[in-house]
Amino acid sequence: MPNDILYSIRNLTVEYQTRAGPVRAVDNVSLNIRRGEILGLVGESGCGKSTLGKAMMRLHTTPAKITSGELWFDGRDLMSLSDREMPNVRGAEIGMVFQDPMTSLNPVQRILDHLTETIHTHEPETSDATARVRVEELAERLGIQRERLNEYPHQMSGGMRQRVMISLALALHAKLVIADEPTTSLDVIVEAKFLDLLKELQKEFGLTILLITHNIGVVAEVSDRVAVMYAARMVEVGDASDIFAEPKHPYTQGLLKSVPNILLDGTELYKMEGSPPNLLHPPTGCRFHPRCPYVKDICKNEDPNLKPVVMDQLAACWLYQETAVNGR
Amino acid sequence: MTVNKEKLSKNPLEVVTWEVELERVGIVRRILYARRWYGADWWFVSISALAVALFIVVALFPKFFAPYDPETLVGPRFMAPGAHPDLPVLVVLKNSPVNNLKDLAVSEGTSRPGISVVQGVPTAGALNEQAQKIDNQIKNESRGLRLRPVIVRYPTLEEALQAVANGNNQAAVVQSTEWEEVSDQFPTLREGQSITGVNSTSGGFIFGTNDIGQDVLSRLLWGTRVALLIGFSASIVALVLGVPLGLFAGFIGGTFDRLFSLLMDSLYAFPGLILAIAITAVLGPSILNIIVAIAVLYIPTYYRIVRGQTLSVKEEVYIEAAKSIGARNMEILRLYIFPNVIPSVAIIFSVNVADAILTGAGLSFLGLGLPPTIADWGIDLARGQRFIQTAWWMITFPGLAIMVVVLAFSMMGEGLMEIFNPKLRER
Repeated sequence: MPNDILYSIRNLTVEYQTRAGPVRAVDNVSLNIRRGEILGLVGESGCGKSTLGKAMMRLHTTPAKITSGELWFDGRDLMSLSDREMPNVRGAEIGMVFQDPMTSLNPVQRILDHLTETIHTHEPETSDATARVRVEELAERLGIQRERLNEYPHQMSGGMRQRVMISLALALHAKLVIADEPTTSLDVIVEAKFLDLLKELQKEFGLTILLITHNIGVVAEVSDRVAVMYAARMVEVGDASDIFAEPKHPYTQGLLKSVPNILLDGTELYKMEGSPPNLLHPPTGCRFHPRCPYVKDICKNEDPNLKPVVMDQLAACWLYQETAVNGR
Repeated sequence: MTVNKEKLSKNPLEVVTWEVELERVGIVRRILYARRWYGADWWFVSISALAVALFIVVALFPKFFAPYDPETLVGPRFMAPGAHPDLPVLVVLKNSPVNNLKDLAVSEGTSRPGISVVQGVPTAGALNEQAQKIDNQIKNESRGLRLRPVIVRYPTLEEALQAVANGNNQAAVVQSTEWEEVSDQFPTLREGQSITGVNSTSGGFIFGTNDIGQDVLSRLLWGTRVALLIGFSASIVALVLGVPLGLFAGFIGGTFDRLFSLLMDSLYAFPGLILAIAITAVLGPSILNIIVAIAVLYIPTYYRIVRGQTLSVKEEVYIEAAKSIGARNMEILRLYIFPNVIPSVAIIFSVNVADAILTGAGLSFLGLGLPPTIADWGIDLARGQRFIQTAWWMITFPGLAIMVVVLAFSMMGEGLMEIFNPKLRER
């Protein structure tokens, strides 16, 4: 494995066992996260982004189940770790920031206790005083005033709490932070501040961040690279600049066209036809074909693989893979 | 109590102002401002807390408050509250050290004390009998003391008393009601105890006496101890067993949860008192068994509440967040779930104590709780119900005591619930 790849997801499939049958929320997805980058994972609601994020820490609970695939983190096979070993990785090496900061902190625990407890969980030998000093330094760095550490979560605003959440991940110098829609419940100003903070942390600590969001504007603002998911599949991965300049997959193209743009007045906002498929009975072939403006016969029957289109930009679309069919 | 507006969240749905304010003040202010914040009346809680505290003090030191021993026969039967009993009492000189019959005992060989009685009344016989009894007692102590008074009979009450006033006799024994009528004429005399050693006319019996001559007030005060002992111990035992079971069942889920939920629900399905009766009937009457029976009754209450809360808290995002920082199951239970569940447990506890007292009294009332000699409200009620037409006080005062103590505990529980968990009321 090349050393610049921190986390490698290989052919991961996660299924939800429901009464109606298994639902594949993540279907044969592969993704490499490079050291020190901010990777934006975008897709509409229900496309499997959050399931993917949780599965990356093996935090998924029944009825979700990883049915196949490998998770390699920093040269280690996470799937081979036992349930007892997994908590050592969580928090210490991979941190997570959740969607709703209002509910992701224990309401009866002070902020300080949240942070020192994280340290004690992974480093039981650390003294209370040392842990406290570390926490205070970190909090100061993240813009949380020292005296506010003694407050309870409900005394803090949403933006503050999100800072606390990220400091939980940083308290143990986690290498990777998975941020699952961290700004969804924040207003735009707090959101902008939080995104700035993420960027600063990336530079300062060499932090790698997987930013899961359905807000393409957020991704455009901070991401180095972008991965686009549609109906449990990865449809396009590439540098942010490339993807925003020249999206390859018709779904990505549609997504970008449907973002309101203040410069283009007059014309009506682009609207993608149809709606996302029911994952219980996904369409055959390419999952986007019922909505695709460029649909061809092959799209309806054959599943495209994620393949490079140009240098560093991969897309799963038959438009660019005519030859691949012949090769099969 | 000014609130820093900047620190408050902009979104009104997030944190209500008074909740933030509430967080910054101490417990005393919380109680004082209870009405302003969430409509609870501070005196409501204060009075009930005071009553509860009083009951606890009485239960700890009943001897200090009770005028008599609860199990000895201290007066005539069926004395109405406040009435003075008509007992044969000693009347002696004001400066005499003699207070009861025992004090009249002298060493063998010295002159025997004279006691004046009125001719033709049954007092003399009773006196003789009692003197003989005491004499036999002190003879066995063998300190050389004997009680063999010379009983001198006088035709009238006045003469009998005059003989004491003149110093001819050491004491007179007269009925206390008669003494009360003439006591003004003998300013140098005073009343001692009755010949059976009881302060007969010193206030009488405030709540009367029962069917065998025990003091109702003393039994009531001593009964507090039994009632609170049963109430607290049963609730604590139920809490100690029910809370962990509920926590684990809710957290682990699966077969463990199903098994215990089935067990607890079947316990819960029984009518409470009938189950308690069945358990005490099998185990036999004693305080310990009554506590066990009531505890079994209340385990499902704690179990169900804690399990339900655990189930809902378990799904909160902060539990998932805790897992994402590497917290293990025991830590999640101890640091995240337990502290979030415990406030409701504390509230059930205080209501539960009241309920347990009621059930305990019910069991004793049915004769299944305790040996009948023990001072207990339920037993007193059961005894009093047969005499409800002749001696209303026997059943009224223990009944009132049960009512007040149950009310105090329930009121305190409700009040505390509003003060500590105002969200329950607001939302």
